[in-house]
Amino acid sequence: MKEFTIRVSRFDPDEDKAPHLETYTVKVNEGARVLNVLHAIHDELDPTLSYRYSCSSGQCGSCAVRVNGEPVLACMEEARDGMTIEPLHLDVKKDLVTDLVPRLEQIASLVAKKDTVLPKKADIDAMKPLKDCIECLCCVSVCPAVDVTKFLGPTAMRQEMRLALDPRDSGDRVPDAVRDGLFTCTSCQACWKVCPKEIEIPGKAIEKLRARANKAGLTLPRHLEVAALIKETGRSVPRTAESFLEKAGGTIEPYGPVKATVGFFVGCMYNLRQQQSALDAMEVLRRNGIRVIIPKEQICCGSPLIRTGQLDYVDTLKKRNIETFQSRKIGTVLTMCAGCGSTLKNDYKTPFKVIDINELLTQYGIEPPARLPIKATYHDPCHLLRGQGVRDQPRELIRQVVDLV
Amino acid sequence: MLADEVCDCHVLVIGSGGAGVRAAIEASKHGETVLISKTIVGKGGCTPMAEGGYNAVLREQDSCGIHREDTLKGGAYLNNPELVDLLVKESPLRMGDLVKWGAVFDFTEQNELAQRPFGGQRFPRTCYAGDRTGHEMMMTLVERLDSTDVTTLQEYTVIELLKDRDGDAVIGAVALDEKGDLVLLKADSTILATGGGAKIYDISTNSSSGTGDGFAMGYRAGAELIDMEMVQFHPTGAVYPYDARGRLVTEAVRGEGGILKNAKGERFMKKYDPERMELSTRDVVARAIATEIMQGQGTAHGGVYLDVTHLPGEQIETRLPVMLEQFLRFGVDIRTTPMEVAPTAHHVMGGLRITPHGQTTLPGLFACGEVAGGVHGANRLGGNALADTQVFGKRAGEAAGKEGRRRKSVDREQVGAQLGRLAGFCAGNTNPALVKRDLQLAMWQGAGIFRNAGDLEETLATANQLSAVHLRAVSDRNLAECCIVQNMCCTASLVCRSALLRPESRGAHVRTDITQTHDAEHSPFGHTFISLSREGIEPREMQQ
Repeated sequence: MKEFTIRVSRFDPDEDKAPHLETYTVKVNEGARVLNVLHAIHDELDPTLSYRYSCSSGQCGSCAVRVNGEPVLACMEEARDGMTIEPLHLDVKKDLVTDLVPRLEQIASLVAKKDTVLPKKADIDAMKPLKDCIECLCCVSVCPAVDVTKFLGPTAMRQEMRLALDPRDSGDRVPDAVRDGLFTCTSCQACWKVCPKEIEIPGKAIEKLRARANKAGLTLPRHLEVAALIKETGRSVPRTAESFLEKAGGTIEPYGPVKATVGFFVGCMYNLRQQQSALDAMEVLRRNGIRVIIPKEQICCGSPLIRTGQLDYVDTLKKRNIETFQSRKIGTVLTMCAGCGSTLKNDYKTPFKVIDINELLTQYGIEPPARLPIKATYHDPCHLLRGQGVRDQPRELIRQVVDLV
Repeated sequence: MLADEVCDCHVLVIGSGGAGVRAAIEASKHGETVLISKTIVGKGGCTPMAEGGYNAVLREQDSCGIHREDTLKGGAYLNNPELVDLLVKESPLRMGDLVKWGAVFDFTEQNELAQRPFGGQRFPRTCYAGDRTGHEMMMTLVERLDSTDVTTLQEYTVIELLKDRDGDAVIGAVALDEKGDLVLLKADSTILATGGGAKIYDISTNSSSGTGDGFAMGYRAGAELIDMEMVQFHPTGAVYPYDARGRLVTEAVRGEGGILKNAKGERFMKKYDPERMELSTRDVVARAIATEIMQGQGTAHGGVYLDVTHLPGEQIETRLPVMLEQFLRFGVDIRTTPMEVAPTAHHVMGGLRITPHGQTTLPGLFACGEVAGGVHGANRLGGNALADTQVFGKRAGEAAGKEGRRRKSVDREQVGAQLGRLAGFCAGNTNPALVKRDLQLAMWQGAGIFRNAGDLEETLATANQLSAVHLRAVSDRNLAECCIVQNMCCTASLVCRSALLRPESRGAHVRTDITQTHDAEHSPFGHTFISLSREGIEPREMQQ
């Protein structure tokens, strides 16, 4: 047996104005889960603690809570000393019990066609990955769009896509999805990173539904404008000043010995809006021994089209970009833009390695920078943290310059 | 705690697993139906945890006759043959309903429902959705329920059935809402679909709802139960870490080719059932594993090995994804490391005596699913429980729906008795969680796989003594828990009493203190029966 001291959020709407954390010390067995700690508190110390559970084996989705801020299934997550257990970020009924039912009721149901149609194996195989959902609502609890719009949330979109794939369903799922907030998803990827079943809702449901919406003429006007601009100029933002590619030379040789050679994929924002940041980055690379090749023929990576379901032109962009770097025999392509990096890594099949600048600079090291006497914090870009899994490297670099808090 | 909320409906369904939801869907065609559940509908009960599959005769090479024979033989010929006939004949039809309503079961390359082999069956007739078959069924049923007029009362705990003032008829139930306030529910017909009660054991696969509420409430209302001694111990439950003990490791693992080995590396099933090996019936495999462990051939964690490392990784990933994920969570990659498993209490074969229409021995009260007895005899075949929920869920729902209106006058005395019971909890002195723990340990010790009269008597005494303690509810929200612990004690005593009534070893029920010369097929005994008014064991003739 081990002794754990943990904190649990307590809230009784009949008595409390706001939730508060209560500290408990309990004895638990080796390998205990979060749920076993809650049982220990309830059984030994305080039977008034309310929490919900049923199957205790990760299959029913009743027991999701936040542990140290992260949504988890209490029955599957290993308990740790010092942890803080709070309810999901949803309406709280009492203590750790959230009001799941109204949100579950918003998830669409299959409406069978009058004549029985049977699915084919291909239909089954397409639907299956979307059917692992246990409706624990972890995804809904972290969705920033749900907080500020009427978006029904990630799993509701998952279900719309699953129904859209089902030949037995008589519903018109794409307009329903649009009505329920399909276009409010920011593609931040938070939902599937907390999903206990790892269902990739943004890529496997939301972008797929948006592609169907595109075929149905339901793409948003602003998104259509961006697509038209990409087709016309190869870029997703209009040119308002001299671009990075126009300013920067073909190859940047380092001042000192060459530690590595990379091709640089600039992306629309650094090319046309944040040129100076990109130029500064080139100088950093130059001082730290990285040779950078900058092919001018590169164009938009296609992310704005892929995210909004406008796929017609995407293959053209991919082909052009891949050929551009491949023809120069570049083995590693460097990105600065989180979105472009995530797209090249996840949506492309590249014959070269793709690396983010934070990964590159921590891999090869940088000359000690001058320290600035400021306290700073860091906001992870969605497509760097969750799209590429790059978390520690930017912090490591920033810590060398400022006091990171 | 005031009985000021009254709900009046045609059919009241208690329980929201596979049987309850199926019953509610059917009943709603005939009149106003209320589905009441102590959990969120779709999340509670054991159906969403059912992994392996659903037995249905679908192929020309298979037949209902063979399925019937397999089921009777697997059930040690204690099953009610009429109920078995219905199970095998209607299971494919009910599977058809599920597919029509959108279930995503695995398909073959020929676009037919895929089937896998399961224990004790001569044909691979177990349909599946990976190893989350029950979850797929539940999702489908809840979606279908959405298109009906059924009213759902979620996270309400039914604490007692209500009976007519002047007769035997059940006319509804008394429930507590999540805050502990009393609610009266009147119904022309009431369906118990409360599932089983394997949570009365320390080591169990069941969800939090497997507390035997339906057995206990049915018994207290005067219904007759049969074969309550027949508790299935699933051969393969997890053994570590301690808090994960008993978690189901699906039979599909063996269906897909998993093999059992003792600590010496011997494939021991050849000693116990050389013909069917790992795919013998659950009673046989569970006893074999328990025997190996008792003889000192168990692993360090007190189990035996269940090995799939010889199977292709892709087969494990696509057919057993839940198993893979669960074991990975506990640090074991089943693609490269054998699992360690031991028996775990899984299913109660006994239950309320029912007719083919799910009618219990009390007017107005129906039962379906695990709470009903007779379908599975002395040992259930893997894959027959999910089929049971659908076949008898529909039958009970339809029969209850077709019942006439009933005059329902609530008996103030019965309501008063419940208020008194609840007031007693508020003044009680014993923590129900501790009573539950004592009961579970006693049942595992004295009424497990191997039984004898002395241990059963002692366990019964413990259950009775625990039934009598003054449970304490520290707040109104804790009242339901006290009622549930009382139901567990009552269910445990029914199991022990019935086990003492059966002087033979049969199926899952093994009496080490009795030597017998007959085999199951030639047993002189039929069902055990137990009710408020009588108890005993039927001779075999009466039951056939």
